[in-house]
Formats: sequence, C-alpha cells, structure tokens
Amino acid sequence: MRTLKLLLALLLAMAAITTSCGDSSADESAEGPAGAGSDEPITVYSGRSEDLVQPLLDDFTDTTGIEVEVRYGDSAELALLIQTEGDSSPADVFISQSPGALGLLAGEGRLATLDPALTGLVDAGFSASDGTWVGITGRVRVVVYNSELVGEADLPQSVLDLTDPRYAEQVAVAPTNGSFQDFVTAMRSELGDDATLEWLEGMAANNSPNYPGNSPIVEAVGRGEVPMGLVNHYYNLRALEADPSVPSANHFLPADDLGSLVIVTGGGVLASSDHAAAGSSLLEYLLGEEAQTTFSAETQEYPMLAVVAAPDGLPSLEGYAADTIEYDLLGDGLRGTIDLISNSGIEQ
Amino acid sequence: MTLPAGDAAPRFDAWSGRQPPTGLLVVSAIIGVVFFGPFAYVIWRNIDLGTDLGSLLWSQKTWDPLQRSLRLGVAVSLSAAVLGTSLAWLTIRTDLPGRRIWQILAPLPLVFPSFVGATALIAGFASGGLIEELLAPLGIDTLPDIRGFGGAWLVLTLFTYPYVYLPAAARMASLPPSLEESARLLGRSPRVVFATVVLPQVSGAVWAGGLLVFLYTISDFGAVALLGYDTLTEQIYADRLFNQPRAMGLALVLGGVALIVVITERALDRRRQRIEMVRTRDPLIVPLGRWSWPSLIFVAAFLGNALLGPVAVLGFWAWRGLTADINSVGLSTDLVDLVWPTIHSAQAGLVSALAAIVVVMPVAWLTARYRSRLGGATNSLVVTGFALPGVVTALSLVFWAIDAPIIERWYQTLPLLILAYVLHFGAQATRAAHVAVGAVPQRLGDAAATLGARRTRRFLTVELPLMTPGLFAGAGLVMLSTMKELPATLLLAPIGFDTLATEIWGAGERGSLAQGALASLVLVALSAILTWVVVIRRLEHY
Repeated sequence: MRTLKLLLALLLAMAAITTSCGDSSADESAEGPAGAGSDEPITVYSGRSEDLVQPLLDDFTDTTGIEVEVRYGDSAELALLIQTEGDSSPADVFISQSPGALGLLAGEGRLATLDPALTGLVDAGFSASDGTWVGITGRVRVVVYNSELVGEADLPQSVLDLTDPRYAEQVAVAPTNGSFQDFVTAMRSELGDDATLEWLEGMAANNSPNYPGNSPIVEAVGRGEVPMGLVNHYYNLRALEADPSVPSANHFLPADDLGSLVIVTGGGVLASSDHAAAGSSLLEYLLGEEAQTTFSAETQEYPMLAVVAAPDGLPSLEGYAADTIEYDLLGDGLRGTIDLISNSGIEQ
Repeated sequence: MTLPAGDAAPRFDAWSGRQPPTGLLVVSAIIGVVFFGPFAYVIWRNIDLGTDLGSLLWSQKTWDPLQRSLRLGVAVSLSAAVLGTSLAWLTIRTDLPGRRIWQILAPLPLVFPSFVGATALIAGFASGGLIEELLAPLGIDTLPDIRGFGGAWLVLTLFTYPYVYLPAAARMASLPPSLEESARLLGRSPRVVFATVVLPQVSGAVWAGGLLVFLYTISDFGAVALLGYDTLTEQIYADRLFNQPRAMGLALVLGGVALIVVITERALDRRRQRIEMVRTRDPLIVPLGRWSWPSLIFVAAFLGNALLGPVAVLGFWAWRGLTADINSVGLSTDLVDLVWPTIHSAQAGLVSALAAIVVVMPVAWLTARYRSRLGGATNSLVVTGFALPGVVTALSLVFWAIDAPIIERWYQTLPLLILAYVLHFGAQATRAAHVAVGAVPQRLGDAAATLGARRTRRFLTVELPLMTPGLFAGAGLVMLSTMKELPATLLLAPIGFDTLATEIWGAGERGSLAQGALASLVLVALSAILTWVVVIRRLEHY
C-alpha cells in the first residue's frame, strides 16, 4: 500500500509540474501579442560557457532593457539544433565557439546579413566575407609543451617542421577536434590540398598520439605522457591557474607561421528571427570596449577590438596573418578537410 | 506456493488461446509508433541527404569501427553479466558482512557519466598520473597502458554492470526459497545450488541486463573518445556537423545492427524455459562460512575500483578547488550553485522513471502474457532505441515536435524533455517490466477473477505488488540514466533548467576540474539517496 501511495504522490507531483509548465507557456503566448518592441526577450543559443557569457548578457540587459534568455550547449550540437528547427527556431542569436558551426548555418541560409557597420568593427579576416557573422574573440594555435621534457632550444620554429622524424611520437594532435580541423582548413587555403595532405601524412608517419580535444592534450602534456601538443592557447593558461605546479607551457610560433592561426569565436543573427535589431545590438554590445576588456582580462582570449589590449603576458595579435585566411572556407570547406584528415591516416 | 519447473512448458499453449484485449493492442500500437519516431527520422534524413548507403556499407571505413563497436559491446556485456550476477547473489542472497550497505553502493557506478569515469581513470592510471605518483616511492614507475580497447573495456564494465546487477538483484530477492531448500536437503553444495537452481531462474534478468550493457556500449561516446578507441558512435560524432550524410548513414547502420541483436536475443529468450514462481517467504540466505572474508574482499575491492577510485579522484580535484585561491571567472568552486541543478536532476530522474514504467507497462504486459506480433515489434523498437546516440534521439524529437500542431506548444518544456528521456531509456524499464510481469503467475489473477475481482482491482491488489521489486529496479535504471543524460538535456530542457549533468559538462568546457568534480560528487550522493529510497528498500520489503 505504501508503494501505491508513493506512486500516487509522484503522479500528483508530475501533474503539478506539467500544469505549471503548461501555465508558463500559456502566459508567454498570452503576452506575445501584447508585449511589443524592446520589452520582448530575445533568445540566444550559446556555444560559449555560462560563467563567461552570462555576466556580459546581464550587463547588456541592464544597459538596454532587453531581456535575454540563453540556452547553453555545445556549438556543433546547437548548430544542428538550429538546422533541424528550421524557420521555427526560437533562437534569435547564435554565439559559437568556432567559425565552422557558423559557416555551416550561413551556407544553409540560416543567418541574416549583418549591418556592415557591425562587421566593420573587426578586421576584415575576422568576420564572414558575406557579412553573416562577426568574430567576437580570438584564440591562437600554439604548441603546448612539458618544460621538464623539452628544452626551449628544441622547440619547433614552424608547425611544418613537426613532420621531421625527430618529432616522432612527440606531438599530440586532436584530429576530430573543431579547432584542429579549422587549422587544417587554413593550411589548405594557404598551401593547397596536396601539401596539406603531405603534412598530415607526415604527422601520421610520426605516429603522433591522438587525443579527443584540447583539454585532454594539455592534461597529458602536464602529466608528461607526451612532450608536446597542438592546441589553442588558453587551455594551458586555465590548467595552470587550477594547479600552478604543472610543468606545461605555451610556445607561440612566429606570427606569420601557419601554426599560429587565429581562430575566432563569433556570433550571428538568425534569418528567421523576429528580433533582428535587438539581436544585432547584442552582438554590438559584445564588441564594445567594456565586454571586450572583460573577455581579455577574464578568459585570456584575444579581443577583436584594436583599442583593447591583449591579455596580460601574451604576445599582441599584431602581425598575425588574419587577412590571408578565408574564414568562409573554414565553414563550407570543412567537409573536404575532414575527408583529407581521414584519408591521411593521422587518426589512430 | 511454487510451481514445479515442468509446469512452465505448457504455459504458452494455455495462453495462446487467449486474445489480447483490444485496448491493450491499441495502446501498444500507439507506443510503437512513438518509439519508431527516432528511426523514422534517421531514415528520412538518409533519404533527404541522399546518403549512398551501398558504398557506405562496403567501405572498410565503416566495417573497421563497426567491428570495434561489436567487439567492445560483446566483451563489456560478458564481463558486466558475470560481475553483476555475482554481486547480486553476494549482496542479496548471502550473509555477506555489511550487505545492506553494499546493496546501496553496488548500483551507483552507473551514475558516473562515462566521460567523467574515463577522465578520472586517465588521471589516476595514465602515465604520469596520480597512481604513478603514489607508487613511485615503491619503485613502480610504469603502469599498463589504459588507452585503446583495454581501457574502454575496463571503464565501461565498471560503469555499466549495474544494468545487470539491479534486475538480477530484484529477481533474486523475489525467488522462492523452497527449491533451494530441497536441493540443499538433498546434500547439494551452495555452489551447485546456485548453478542449478538460482542461475536458471535469474537468467532472464541477466540476459536483459547484458543486452542493455551491449546497447549502451555501442552507443557510448564519452569513454571511447577519451580512451582513444574508435567505434562507430565516435565516427558519428566526428561527422555529425560537416559530413551529415555519412553520420546519418552510420546512425542507420548502428540502429540496424542493434535491431538485429535485439531480435536475435528475443528469439533466444523465447526458447529459454521460463520458470514461473512467486515467493511467500523471505528468500533463502546462504551462509558464506569460511568464504565470508574472501567474498567481502572481492566486493570491497571491486566497488573500490568502480566507485571509490573515481570518487577519490573527484574528491581530490574538488578539495584542491575549494582550498585554492582562484579568482578567475569560471574557475571558482561553489556548492551553493549546485542547489537548483540538484533539485532539477532529482525531479527529472524521478518523473522520467515513473513515466517510463507507465509507458512500457502495456507493452511488457502484452509481450509477457500473450503471443502478439505487434507486442514483439513494439518491444524491439523500444529496446533498440537505447542504441541510438542521445543527440540523434534528441534531434528526432526536435524534428517531429517543432512544427507539429499542439505538440509545438510543449517544445523545449519539461514534458517533451521527459518524453526524450523515455524514448532513449525506455528499454531499461521495458526489460525489467517484462521480467516482472513474467514472474507473476497467471493463476493468481485467475483466482482473484473467480473470486469476483475486477480487472483494475486485480491489477492493483494482486499483480502490481508482486511486480514491484522488478518494476522499481527498472525505474531505478531509468532514473540513474536520466540524471546523467546530457545531449537531450542541453537541446530540449526549458531554458534555465540546469541539471547536475549539464553543470559537470559546463565545468569541463571551461576547464574547471574542481567544480565539475564537486558536481559529480553531488550527483553520486543524490543517486545513492534516491537509489535507496526507490529501489533498495523495495528489495527488502517484498
């Protein structure tokens, strides 16, 4: 009998939850026609984490009075979600960890063209050439290394050197990771497919150890499991903050080297959005001096706004070859990149 | 009151004459259609994207990962079946010291999201990891390589054996003591009694659990990706965004393979003799005697690896985070932030467990009580759904719900999220429910009917109480799985409905081991409490 009572209580609880959900959606639809203009909240799908983005969005709401509702998730999966939702997507703005996911949605006509004044805030290489999305921050590709295992003199001067047999089994890669794929795409646009495949096959011949992403590589290098790895610059900075005793360090390759590609995080407004103006004002806010300073100081990512200084202790972005890389190719061309990576045998 | 084994054989003949009630058939058909949703979505995407299935199937690049998936699936389900059954027997049917505590601890490893377990294992065992640091003073400086097949097999076995443990424990708790007593009176040793009397009666539950382990293993992404074992699901994830035709083609292959395995297992299951029994007294407790200590060491050592090891690593990270002076955004550690996620996780877990039981009950009743093609087909669909990667199930629900009349109002609200959980985890309840229904003798209901009890009353007063241990074991599995579910939660939860699983994921995304570890520990603690309330107490009461 007690079991039955428990079941009954649970059923009632479920009913209560269901009704309350029903009520809230009813409220929303009741408000819909009445609440006009800037009072209506906008919905953001964010591939960037809550701790980082939420304080900035709260500031935005305080400044503009526009309420923001945010769904946090993985950039690739949120892009799939928007793709599947189609024109009915509740999202107004998409903020992505990588240009690839934005490029995919742009290619399918899911992103609206932004005001040129907005895309003009950043250097030409850091926004889509068709104006569908704009860069918000930048991360630089680096070689993370274990300072107990690798002397500074032995560090490579170019990512192209890493196919040399003396780096056999020394350099960790993440072939399925978005940033690695973006880097390979940049290499394709710079050197062509043949040279890129040759480099990938060289890395494969060197038995470069595989990891699923940036953090696992940084952790493995810190433990001394592998001496070096190709990652984005800020993962190691975070690892060191959690445990300063770890002997892992970032090696910045020369600014004009392919190995120091700048990969942007960016944002776009959905073509299906009913709040396009509010959406682009949010992107404008994220590109404002205040938000950009926060990004630089709190996440050690590179600001897109020239007037905001690079994070403490990091080289400035000056001279980094941003305009030579066609970011749109990073979206549309990723399919070819994945084929190239998979044909090279670098995945082990 | 027990039926001798021989009476079980004519059961089907006796029942095949009965027509299943129309209402039951209609309800089961509706459930079947809903559970077909994810498959229909995958099929439609393959057509829409023009996937070249022929060349995909003939490609070595499909076969290699498929073979790895199958090899891992079979290896993990075998080891999980052996471990789950042994632990169930030791903790339920023997006088193992501290058995009540072991009963609560044994199902818990299921709650570790596999990427958390794998991360903890790597941090512990990998070259340069915590264990090596601990052992270094003893002169041990190299540990076996845990990457690849071995590591994936170990992690997945340690975290999936509860799929076998819970149903097997539930079944053992409801076995009648008389046969075992007779066997022992005839001078059989406890080991022989276990092999010839106990094992045949729990084999249905063990098979059911083993199948779940297999399906979970082939659909897992977290552990295989971190441990570098390239399975079919890993390929689906790698291709999900930029090579969608291949990803969807591989999802169809995965679903197809899973369906074949499920149907084969069903066919074998039907040939196995079912023994229908109900117990009237507490189950027999076997004194372990001089085996007491070795058994205790085995249980303690095993749970030490599956539970204490990961908890210790997580505890170390959390402690380091709580004591360190870190000011950077996103790296701080805060227990208060976890209050709402904890409430949401408990809410989602309990509601979806109950919903799953209610949804699969008609199907289990139909398949266990009648011969019905419809019941068989629906049952296979429900079970196979567990093999589809979570993101595929979630996207299928988006696809079907976003523009559907009426349903669209529920888009990204709790009811639809619960539906996603039920679609993905229904398999765990349906097998348990099937075993539970199978354990109720038809004769009891018939007797109640002759005494004038109506259908509903018979169900509530006679049959439901007898099924309770099995049902709650299934509900427990769904609950634990829901609490660690990630992809569907991220895509379909109402905005702001953070759970412990999304907290752990978010902490991992921003590189905060400490907060992720803390959230994982809270998840384990919450699971322990709920498992005790929902499952373990029931094993004792019935």
